[in-house]
Amino acid sequence: MPKVKRSRKPPPDGWELIEPTLDELDQKMREELYEYCIRESYADKNLIAKWKKQGYENLCCLRCIQTRDTNFGTNCICRVPKGKLEVGRIIECTHCGCRGCSG
Amino acid sequence: MATSLGSNTYNRQNWEDSDFPILCQTCLGENPYIRMTKEKYGKECKICARPFTVFRWCPGVRMRFKKTEVCQTCSKMKNVCQTCLLDLEYGLPIQVRDTGMSIKDDMPRSDVNKEYYTQNMEREIQNSDGTRLVGMLGKAQNPSDMLLKLARPTPYYKRNRPHICSFWVKGECKRGEECPYRHEKPTDPDDPLADQNIKDRYYGINDPVADKLLKRSSSMPRLDPPEDKSITTLYIGGLGESLTDSELRNHFYQYGEIRTITLVQRQQCAFIQFATRQGAELAAEKTFNKLIINGRRLAVKWGRSQAAKGTDVKDGFDEMGTGLEPVPGLPTTLPPPPALEEEAPANYFNLDPSSSPALMNISLPPPPGLSNPLPPGFGAPMFHPMGPPPPPPMALRPPGHIHYPSQDPQRMGAHAAIRHSD
Repeated sequence: MPKVKRSRKPPPDGWELIEPTLDELDQKMREELYEYCIRESYADKNLIAKWKKQGYENLCCLRCIQTRDTNFGTNCICRVPKGKLEVGRIIECTHCGCRGCSG
Repeated sequence: MATSLGSNTYNRQNWEDSDFPILCQTCLGENPYIRMTKEKYGKECKICARPFTVFRWCPGVRMRFKKTEVCQTCSKMKNVCQTCLLDLEYGLPIQVRDTGMSIKDDMPRSDVNKEYYTQNMEREIQNSDGTRLVGMLGKAQNPSDMLLKLARPTPYYKRNRPHICSFWVKGECKRGEECPYRHEKPTDPDDPLADQNIKDRYYGINDPVADKLLKRSSSMPRLDPPEDKSITTLYIGGLGESLTDSELRNHFYQYGEIRTITLVQRQQCAFIQFATRQGAELAAEKTFNKLIINGRRLAVKWGRSQAAKGTDVKDGFDEMGTGLEPVPGLPTTLPPPPALEEEAPANYFNLDPSSSPALMNISLPPPPGLSNPLPPGFGAPMFHPMGPPPPPPMALRPPGHIHYPSQDPQRMGAHAAIRHSD
């Protein structure tokens, strides 16, 4: 995996249990294995498909862009970029508790 | 309840179905763009317990979502907003508005009585043309100035704020920053305004907000007529530049006939004496704390009785319009009636109680020598059913003898003068 900037803070409990697994995933993942995981629903195919679109790279979940779930046919509040949301208040969306997945 | 959502679903045809709510500006909020949801038969009306269309919208940022609480029939019966139950015109509680307009609306409040009444009112509303108010409110006409004074000039959006977070009050709010409810000190439970009840507010009984407002209005400054019934003069102060006789006259003639106007330039005041006590009282009522001439609010008070008036009368008899002589021959003011503790019933004519009843039927003879000044321009004498011959036309009258402002040819509305002087 390419070099990712991580925080210097110490990780919370349980990190020691999952760190070896994550490292193995990083090392062993290949394209064939990836497609297998997607086929067998170990990964959410639809969500990953959205991440490939421009503007949806950080999408929290699929429910938050489902317009049929809202009263007025809009997206969830977490999809509003922070700059446009002039309130300056913390918003947690009701579906997944996301605090802003665009912008 | 016979017509409520749960029990009687066979009456569904008569349930309310409306496509726009009846709301006041404050409830709708400051944003002119609103998205509103409509839910047919969403809830029971809080007053009549019948299903109705619930509308729900957000009145602004950081406001709670408001929804209609009472049905359209209940709201039309009292002419109030469907959510806040305040009058649509004044924004005042129902009790205050009814007191101000002297409306006594006794709607039944219990069980079947209430259902029957609302059913009938609904039919009446349906059959009416929708422009006039149904019920007691349609008859009351006079726009009350007490209500205008009590009404808020600007909308009060604090009403739309979210409710207090009860978890935060206990110290247990886990949501923290993102909690939509208010993290503030709750209102004092001992405050009488704390226990309000929607039914009490709607029927106009026992409403603490209304009581507070009414108490405030009764303590506002008022001008009471003096006990001495012969006083018909008003003191008008704070005139300044508009200290002209004609200005005052042009305004005060509408309340009644003005006998004299006395201007005191030095003290920027005037005394207006009316011919009738009712005229003076009407003028006082309509102008006290209200009249504004040339941008100044005039101070209006009662003058003292005839004998006691101390300020020097301006030498205004030369000036056109002031110092009109009283019409000769009219009856002077009557003596005040005797005190009301008399035993004799209805002794209007001050007759001897032992006189025969036949005398009671005689009407008063016409006042002696009632002179009837003709408007200028009328040549033919006026037909006078009372008997005395009509007086000569105005041209023959000695000049300067005008008794009423309408005789003054310089005034607006007067016919062309036959007068030779001036």
